Amino acid sequence: MRLGFTQSEEQFRAECADWLNAQMAGEFADIRGITTLTEKAERRKEWEQHLGAHGWSCIGWPKEWGGRGATLAEQVIFAEEYARAGVPGRVNHIGIELAGPTLLALGTEEQKRRFLPDIAAGKTIFCQGFSEPGAGSDLASVRTKARLEGNEWVVEGQKIWTSLAHISDWIFVVARSEEGSKGPKGLTFLMMEIDQPGIEIRPIKQINGDAEFNETFFDGARCPADSLIGAVGDGWRVAMTLLSFERGVSTLGQQMAFRNELDGIIAAAKANGTASDPLIRQRIARAEIGLQLMRYGAMRMLSNTDHSKVDGAALTYKIQWATWRRNLGELAMDVLGQAGEVTGSPEYEWGMLPNLFLYSRADTIYGGTNQIQRNLIAERGLGMPREPRGDA
Amino acid sequence: MDMLIAPERLELAEAVRDFLSGTHGPEVLRRLDAGPNRDPALWQGLVEMGLTGLLVPEEHGGLGMGLLDAALIARECGRVALAEPLVESAFVAVPWLVAQGDTSDLATIARGERRIAPAHRLNGAVADGEGAALDSIDPLRRLTTLPADASDDALLLDLGALMAAAQLVGLAEAMLDQAVEYSKIRTQFGQPVGGFQAIKHKLADVAVALEFARPVLWRAAQALDDGIASAAVHVSHAKVAATDAAYLAAESAIQVHGAMGYTYEVDLHFWMKRAWALGGAWGSRAFHLNRIDAAVIGGPHPIGPENTFA
Ligand SMILES: Cc1cc2nc3c(=O)[nH]c(=O)nc-3n(C[C@H](O)[C@H](O)[C@H](O)COP(=O)(O)OP(=O)(O)OC[C@H]3O[C@@H](n4cnc5c(N)ncnc54)[C@H](O)[C@@H]3O)c2cc1C
Repeated sequence: MRLGFTQSEEQFRAECADWLNAQMAGEFADIRGITTLTEKAERRKEWEQHLGAHGWSCIGWPKEWGGRGATLAEQVIFAEEYARAGVPGRVNHIGIELAGPTLLALGTEEQKRRFLPDIAAGKTIFCQGFSEPGAGSDLASVRTKARLEGNEWVVEGQKIWTSLAHISDWIFVVARSEEGSKGPKGLTFLMMEIDQPGIEIRPIKQINGDAEFNETFFDGARCPADSLIGAVGDGWRVAMTLLSFERGVSTLGQQMAFRNELDGIIAAAKANGTASDPLIRQRIARAEIGLQLMRYGAMRMLSNTDHSKVDGAALTYKIQWATWRRNLGELAMDVLGQAGEVTGSPEYEWGMLPNLFLYSRADTIYGGTNQIQRNLIAERGLGMPREPRGDA
Repeated sequence: MDMLIAPERLELAEAVRDFLSGTHGPEVLRRLDAGPNRDPALWQGLVEMGLTGLLVPEEHGGLGMGLLDAALIARECGRVALAEPLVESAFVAVPWLVAQGDTSDLATIARGERRIAPAHRLNGAVADGEGAALDSIDPLRRLTTLPADASDDALLLDLGALMAAAQLVGLAEAMLDQAVEYSKIRTQFGQPVGGFQAIKHKLADVAVALEFARPVLWRAAQALDDGIASAAVHVSHAKVAATDAAYLAAESAIQVHGAMGYTYEVDLHFWMKRAWALGGAWGSRAFHLNRIDAAVIGGPHPIGPENTFA
C-alpha cells in the first residue's frame, strides 16, 4: 500500500489543472459547469475533439491508439482535476469508457485501427443498444434479430433507453443472430452506423423534462458482416466484458463530481442555517464518510490487476455509489426545505440541487438495479442459491 | 378512548373519492400539464360538492365541519394529485381566518368565488399566490414568490403542515397502488417482477410506513380541532411520518417501475413530484423533528407511561 502521490504525479496534477482551467476560462467557458447530459451537445462534441487534439481524451489508452499510456495514478489525477475544474461530463462516455476498452480487449487489429483513434479524437460518438422493452434486468432475453445477408448483417427490432443515441454516430447492439435461440446463447455483438435509413431514433422525455435517452428502431438496418466484436454467437460474453468496464477509472471522476455536489449541499446548509441542525450535520458527516469509503474502495479495486477471481469490492461498488447518491439527493431536498421545490431558474441560488435530486432517482436503476446488484453479491459473491431465472 | 373514525365521517370522504376518481384521472393531469394547469370546470365541480365551504361555519354558508373531515378529504386530494388549490384555500386559510375572527371573505370562499393562498414565512414561496411565478419541481404546482406581508402565525403553520401531511398520505397510497399494479404486469426472467421477494418486501415496507402514518395524522387533526396544548407536537409527528411514508413510497415506486418510472410518459412522476414538493412545504422533516425533540426533551410535552396515550 502506498498512499499519496509522488512529486512527479503532483507535477502531472498541476499540468492537468492548468490545461483544464485554461480551457474552461477560455475557448470553452460556455460549457463550464453544465450538469445535464444533453445541454449544448454540439459544443460538447467540439470539446471531445479538442480533448482528442491535445491528447487528453483517453489518457489511459496505449499511445498508438491515441492515448498517453498514463498510469492508474495519473488517470485518477486527471479524472479528479477534470471534475474540479467544472468541466461537464463526457458526451462520448460510452465510447471512451465502454466501447473503446472492449475493442482494446477483444477487437481485431483491423477494428482497433478503424475505431480507436476516431473515438479518442472525439470523431466517433458511441451509444449503447442493450436494453429492450422486454429485456431490462433480464438482458439475456433480447429479441432484436440479426441475420446475415450476403456480406451484411440485417437487423430488425427495437432497443430502448439508449442514452444520447440522438447525438451519436455509432451504436453497439446485442442481437439474436441464431434463430430460435434463448437466453445468453445465440447472441452477437454488432457495431452499427446510426446514420442510415434502417435506424430511427425517437426521444423519451425523462422526469426532469430533459430527453437524454431514446427509443431506437431497427427496420432492415445494415452493417458489414465483420462489424462485430468477438465471434458470431459470442455476444453475451462480449456484453459482459463491456459491462465490467462500467466500474473502471471513470468511477473516480464520478466521485469528484459527487464531491462537488456534496460541497454544494454543505454550502446551501451553511447559507440557510440548516447546518446548525444536528440531524442535517450528521447526515452530511455520513455522506462525507460514504464518499471516502467509495474512494478507497475504488482505488483498491483499480489497484487490483488480477481479474481472474471474483472481486468482492467490484461487485459491491455499483450499489454503493448508487445508494449513496440517491441518499445525497434526499439530503439536498431536506437541506433546502421548501426551496427544494424551486427548480430551473438559473438565478435561483441552489437551482442545481433539485435537479441533482431528480437525476439521482435513476442511479439505482441503470447499469443494473439495486435488486439485481444484491442478487449478484449474494449469488456470485457469497455463493448463495440462485434466484429463479425463467427459461434463460 | 376511541381511535376509530366514525363511519359517517368516512362517508363524505368516500363520496369525494368516487367523485375525484371519476373526474380527475391521470389523463386530466396530462391535459393540465400540457395546458394552463388550472381548469375552472374542475374547480366548479369541487365547489358543487361543497368542499370549498367544508370548514366555513354554517352561518356563513358552509358545512361547518371539522379538521378531521378536512384531513380525510385532503388525503383524497393527494390520492389523485389534485392540482386545483382546494386544500390550501379551503382547509388551511379558512380555519385560520375563522380562528382570527375574520369572517368577511368566508361566504365568497364557500361559494368558490374567492381563493386564499395562505402565505407563511417559513415557506420560501406561496402556492397559487399573486407574486412572480417560480418553477416548481411539480409541473402542476403554481408557485409564486412570498409576499412581504407573509404571516408567521403558529396556527397557520400547524394547519398548513397538517393538510400537507394529509395529502402526503394520499399521494403515498396512490404511488403504492401504482407500484403494486405495475409489479403484477411487468415480467422479467419469465415472471412478474412482483413475484420477486425483493420487490414484495420493498412495497410491504411502504404499506407498513403508511399504516403507521395514518393514525398519527388523524390524531393530529383531532388535536388541532380540539385546540389541545400539545397539538403542535402531534402535527409535527404527522408531518414527519407522512413525509417519510411518501418519500419511501416514491423511492420504492420508481424503483419498481425501473427506467419506466424515470420517464415523463409514465404518470407516476406527477405523484412523486407533488410528494417531493409537499415534503418541504410547511416545515421540512428537520424542522418538525426539532419541534418534537424540543417538546419532549425537557420541554412542555408530558412524558411517562400515564401520558403515552394522552
Ligand atoms: C437514465 C437511464 C439511462 C439508461 N441508459 C441506457 C443505455 O444507454 N443503453 C441501454 O441499453 N440501457 C440503458 N438504460 C436501461 C437500464 O439498463 C435498465 O433500466 C435496467 O437494466 C433495468 O431494466 P428495466 O428498466 O427494464 O427494469 P425491470 O428489469 O423491468 O425491473 C423492474 C423492477 O423489477 C426488479 N427486478 C427485476 N428482476 C429482478 C430479480 N431477478 N430480482 C429482484 N428484482 C428484480 C428491478 O430491480 C426493478 O425494481 C438506462 C436506464 C436509465 C434509467
